[in-house]
Amino acid sequence: MNSKSFERSDHARSGDKADGSGYGPLSCLDVGRCAYVVSIEPHADRDLKRRLLEMGFCNGASVECIRRAPLGDPIEFKLRGYNLSLRSDQARYVKVTAIR
Amino acid sequence: MTATASLKRTFVVALAGNPNSGKTTIFNALTGLRQKVANYPGVTVEKKTGKTRLNDGTMVDLIDLPGTYSLISRSPDESIAMQVLRGLLPDTPAPDAVICVVDASNLQRNLYLVSQLMELGRPLVIALNMVDIARRRGLHLSSERLSRALGVPVVPIVGYKHQGIDQLKQALLQAKIPPLPAFPLPEPMTRAIHELAEVLKEPNAHALAERLLTHDDAPDLKPYFQDRSIRHRVESIQNRLVEQKIDPIQADIEAHYRWIEQVSAQAVEPACETLEAIDNRPQSPAGPSNVQPVQVGFAPRISLTDRLDKVLLHKVWGMLVFSTVMAGLFIAIFILADPLMGATEEAIANLGSLLTDRLPDGPVKDLWTDGIVAGVGGVMVFVPQIAMLFLFLAILEDSGYLARAAFLMDRVLGRVGLNGKSFIPLLSSFACAIPGIMATRTIENRKDRLATIFIAPFMSCSARLPVYGLLIGTFFAAYSPWVRGGIMFACYGLGVLAAVVTALVFHKTFMKTVPSSFVLELPSYKIPQIGQIVRVMATSTWAFIRRAGTIIFCLSVILWAMAYYPRLSPEQQEAITKQVAAELPPSIQQEAIDQETESRLAAAQLEQSISGRIGHFIEPVIRPLGYDWKMGVGLIASFAAREVFVSQMGIIYAAGDTEEDVASLEQAMLVDRYPDGSPVWTAPVAISLLVWFVLAMQCISTTAIVRRETGSWSWAIGQILYMNALAYVVALLVYQITSHLMR
Repeated sequence: MNSKSFERSDHARSGDKADGSGYGPLSCLDVGRCAYVVSIEPHADRDLKRRLLEMGFCNGASVECIRRAPLGDPIEFKLRGYNLSLRSDQARYVKVTAIR
Repeated sequence: MTATASLKRTFVVALAGNPNSGKTTIFNALTGLRQKVANYPGVTVEKKTGKTRLNDGTMVDLIDLPGTYSLISRSPDESIAMQVLRGLLPDTPAPDAVICVVDASNLQRNLYLVSQLMELGRPLVIALNMVDIARRRGLHLSSERLSRALGVPVVPIVGYKHQGIDQLKQALLQAKIPPLPAFPLPEPMTRAIHELAEVLKEPNAHALAERLLTHDDAPDLKPYFQDRSIRHRVESIQNRLVEQKIDPIQADIEAHYRWIEQVSAQAVEPACETLEAIDNRPQSPAGPSNVQPVQVGFAPRISLTDRLDKVLLHKVWGMLVFSTVMAGLFIAIFILADPLMGATEEAIANLGSLLTDRLPDGPVKDLWTDGIVAGVGGVMVFVPQIAMLFLFLAILEDSGYLARAAFLMDRVLGRVGLNGKSFIPLLSSFACAIPGIMATRTIENRKDRLATIFIAPFMSCSARLPVYGLLIGTFFAAYSPWVRGGIMFACYGLGVLAAVVTALVFHKTFMKTVPSSFVLELPSYKIPQIGQIVRVMATSTWAFIRRAGTIIFCLSVILWAMAYYPRLSPEQQEAITKQVAAELPPSIQQEAIDQETESRLAAAQLEQSISGRIGHFIEPVIRPLGYDWKMGVGLIASFAAREVFVSQMGIIYAAGDTEEDVASLEQAMLVDRYPDGSPVWTAPVAISLLVWFVLAMQCISTTAIVRRETGSWSWAIGQILYMNALAYVVALLVYQITSHLMR
């Protein structure tokens, strides 16, 4: 696992750390990197959890971070062949593992 | 389905699909012009229905549902779609069949809705749209394969070319209730569903149990939750699952997606060589399905959308393009619409005069010219601008740029507790708050939508512009154009500031607990279809005329009557006529005397009318703000539309109310004195009035739209109270402070 794929600056904010385990929040994925979705954090708001899952953030789905908006937030992702954007406040509830 | 056809004369078919799946195009292609737009009762969601004839002559009532990602509702739009599909709406018949539009270029996420629709127990047909786009991106889908994998008829369609519409109608005739898919649920979840299903003892118990366990809050499940034994059972099973580290919602949705991944893998055409190999090979018992299909994926070629977004969402270029587009839109609305607005006004006046010339003098004629024609004119004058605004909104939305604008602006608006989708409604509100508020329908988060509606009228709309122009032109004429421009800009700025502060207060206080969410799909760019855009523009503009127009019109007539009655008595009229003749030097032409007499009569008439009396009555209240009764009359009249203030001032100051008379109105205002000799109109009064017009909620038609869009009077009335109280306090402070400073 390549933990360098996660931005270090965001670590303090998010509950998860991209340490040796290779897991981290989606909000910390670098632009241009891909990752697999592990799960949605259990403590996420139920509606948000459902919406994220319904939009395709399921276990095993591959996600690519396309870009950040000019002011840093929201973040655009590509998954299952389409593009969507999330605020980093929401993306941090998606636990991912970096793949390349 | 054919059996039902002979029993019933018309079928009801619901057209469902994800947002951006091209559903509307298919709806238009199916129904042509036989469409009707209404509203679902109690909500602002548009109910679009149309008729189409199937190949065997059966008439079909087609309901175009709002785009939805799922049958679990979050927004009013999604809730309506879900309720229609489940047959829960009292005045909408349960659909006999469902067409689900699937965007082939975004197959997996679109299939999620399909996976839910298959559990619905209604005959289902898939309209596989945008196959051409998917192919261009390197995804070769086979509708036959998809149909086989799903067990549902699948019709490939190119919506905008009307390809496949006949086949879709044909498939509708053969639609059957689809087989329940075998979702690969985790073992404990399957057991939990079985367990609950046995308790329920109903024909569709399994699907029902699944919904109960996954916190579906649809209204048809209420009775089950009211049954205490069932509710306890559901809760205990849910708790047990959580103990086993299974979140029912997550397990359910992930199982759906795992099934979708299988289905979409089966739906892909094998590569050409493989296809030949299959054809040449002796048929194996398992058939072609045992050949590993190529993985669902996308050719590495970068799509046009990706290339466009590299520029349009770029930190520098993207913001530059965005600013240019928005500024262009804004300028176009004001500059392009202006001659049209003038022409409309003139055309209505001319039409009105056709009848005016034939009417005898008297109340009927006055009602016609000053009440009815002026009222219609007051409505129609806004129509070009509003139609143009709706046109631009439709183009932005249809092209896919609207989502990008929301993406770019989200951070800025997020800071004050709104979201990126609030930007366009707020920008539109600079032209008119009504289309702005109507455009908030795209904001799915209720809290953000309410906040946007609440602050939209703070944006200085075009009806305020003539008032700003009159006041600034009159009292700051001595200053350079730069100063005057600066004051105008400050008026707009004050409105924005009030909006920001209000939104922040909202965000930090009673809306604090509501989590805001912003999950925004960035759809592929499309070239907007002219027909569709014109259609959207026409229906929206018509909605404006119907809802706001009737109010503006009625109010104009009422305000006319208030300014018209009671009439001056013949003695009073004679006295004024004599007075004018005595005041003017005898050398002056008779024509000028007549004109002056007429103006004076009008002014005297207004003063003693109901409006004039109300103006006098409220004078003590508005006096601290620096206003006299004449301005009070103007303020009352501006409840029909703010720019009426200018024409009312024209009448009061006996200056006439045409455009050329504005100069003489400015003169008359400057020389007006109180009985003690002090000027009525001073710079502090003008500033105070400007502040009032920036902040006050005076537009009754906006209030009506707010009531409609929020579904409650409390929001509409709260908005009036809040804005007018704010306007009063700020205008009071500004007047008192500036008049002390200038003393």
